[in-house]
Amino acid sequence: MSNRREFLISTMAGAVLLPELELAGARRLAEPRAVGLIGVGRQGRQIIQELQQIEGARVAALCDTSPSRLASALERAPGAEGFTDYQALLDRRKDVESVIVATPTHLHRRIVEDCLQAGRHVYCEAPLAHTLEDARGIAAAAQTAEAGKRVFHAGFQGRSNPVYQLARDFFRSGSVRDLVSLYAQYHRKTSWRFPAAEPGTAQAANWRLDPAVTLGLAGEIGAQQFDVFTWYRGRMPISVSGRGAIRLHADGRTVPDTIHTTLTWGDGVSLDYEATLANSFGGQYEVFHGTNAAIKLAWSHGWMFKEADAPTQGWEVYATRQQFHTDEGIILIADATKLAAQGALKQGVGLPYSSLYYALGDFLKSVTEGTPVACSAADGFRATALGILANEAVVNSSRVEIPAGL
Amino acid sequence: MGTRFELLVQDEEPGRFRAAAEAAIEEIDACHRRLTRFEPNGLIGHLRRSSAAVPLDSDTWALFQDAVSVWRDSGGAFDLTAPTGHMESILLDPTTRTIRLADRALPLDFGAIAKGHALDLAARVLRDAGVTSAFLHGGTSSAFGLGAPPESPGWDVALGPEAGAPVITLCNTALSVSAVWPGNPHPTIDPRSATLVQGPRRVAVVGPSARLADAWSTAILVLGQRPPALGPEWRVVIPQFPGPGH
Repeated sequence: MSNRREFLISTMAGAVLLPELELAGARRLAEPRAVGLIGVGRQGRQIIQELQQIEGARVAALCDTSPSRLASALERAPGAEGFTDYQALLDRRKDVESVIVATPTHLHRRIVEDCLQAGRHVYCEAPLAHTLEDARGIAAAAQTAEAGKRVFHAGFQGRSNPVYQLARDFFRSGSVRDLVSLYAQYHRKTSWRFPAAEPGTAQAANWRLDPAVTLGLAGEIGAQQFDVFTWYRGRMPISVSGRGAIRLHADGRTVPDTIHTTLTWGDGVSLDYEATLANSFGGQYEVFHGTNAAIKLAWSHGWMFKEADAPTQGWEVYATRQQFHTDEGIILIADATKLAAQGALKQGVGLPYSSLYYALGDFLKSVTEGTPVACSAADGFRATALGILANEAVVNSSRVEIPAGL
Repeated sequence: MGTRFELLVQDEEPGRFRAAAEAAIEEIDACHRRLTRFEPNGLIGHLRRSSAAVPLDSDTWALFQDAVSVWRDSGGAFDLTAPTGHMESILLDPTTRTIRLADRALPLDFGAIAKGHALDLAARVLRDAGVTSAFLHGGTSSAFGLGAPPESPGWDVALGPEAGAPVITLCNTALSVSAVWPGNPHPTIDPRSATLVQGPRRVAVVGPSARLADAWSTAILVLGQRPPALGPEWRVVIPQFPGPGH
């Protein structure tokens, strides 16, 4: 990333949105790597598909306790070896140096610790754990491993997303000016139930609806989105309040299908977050409202909405715009320099890959090239803790103080 | 796939198969995102950007295998690169189960097979979850009958809105309908000659796989008749076209 001075010079020249943004293109590993995956449920299958798009990454080993899930995942990964016990994978496949852990959240800790103990590089899906104690345990094991030149990458994906990185540079260079408020939502219409792979495993398959282990919408989904705000702002909120209800899925569950949380920072700025499984309008996005502009981020896309009295920057003249009822958004395009040079800015609207792809690509890049991880154990711990505390606030309809040293 | 998919799942106890039906819809959605030309994070975009051969999962591999078989058995009347007719530029390597495009600018389009493919995958999700009776369709032109409704030999589908339209009964079989008529906003192109298929003409194909039925209904629409290479497990109906307004 260029320094701020270069950035300003480039933008004043009017030709580019951001120089040197190289991340929107395909990821290629400097040398081929065998990758193992523990947990091949829905998220695991998505991970397989993304890994297959990273040149040089080879899905070499898969592990799941469910034989039918494992069989179906092996169909998707030609050449991979299947295991029902992750210890066997670690013992028998010494060539698999990099392991991705995508089991249910509450099962992460032991697996991550054992993988790190066995000398593997680990990518752990977010949230890291369902309790602060487990999250601390993972972070401690990861920090020991990091000292031993092993990579630990937490799966908070916003940090690897090229559009989010681009928008963060705008945010941190003051494009929105003073923050007014923050908003984010996750709207989907779905039961959050999953069909059991084998008879008698319905409860295990539906761990998200088990109050003993789930972090609910706030922790399982919200934590990913909260992390975007703490990463942009560079600091943690001081409190979180929440409430939840069952608005649609009155099927015997106790875990709310609709939640509201408010995260408040020390400077008085607050984030209102809403998540529901009862309505899909608007989908998933995050918004920063500032006195000069708003930034809206929707994972594959990002926009900036300028206030009429905000100063116009040279590059805006060339930018691609999109109308939303009465608002006009400037589309934030990753890799804009190269695209503009080719007269192909419009083709950069929307990322060519998913956030998960970029996050996995960053992990493997850190493994092969030793680059710093996009989301460290400490980052992952803080983001996970925020999800845990937000869920606690929702479950108890209460306000929870966030410890300063977190 | 630019169309509406609907699933009807027979369920003795309400809500029992909701998760299965949602998983099936998710499979269709994933299929759409993977195969559409309009999704940058899809297979077509990835093949265009990739200089190396791309490994395929077993389902997508089967999709290409079926596409190649229909292309071959129809003498090129079905072609994933229609209208240019360059199917031979899709290079499949069975030993590594990988694909590469000889020409990365090839106009790849799964429009004539993706709906059937999605239905086959969705039906498998339902079956795996224990569903024994369901009806699935995509845009009313591709359909799959999983099992049969209670006390019935199968799911009855009429091949058109007019009275007396032929009725097909589906039980663990798929149906695909293709048609051309004057003024059709989505004309069908004969990839062998790059000319428009002249209508009005309607073709219905019934058989064991929705994916193959989908591809064959397009191929037979182009050919105008049942090809000799089509196996006996397939039924082809070429109903008279009632014309618009019926």
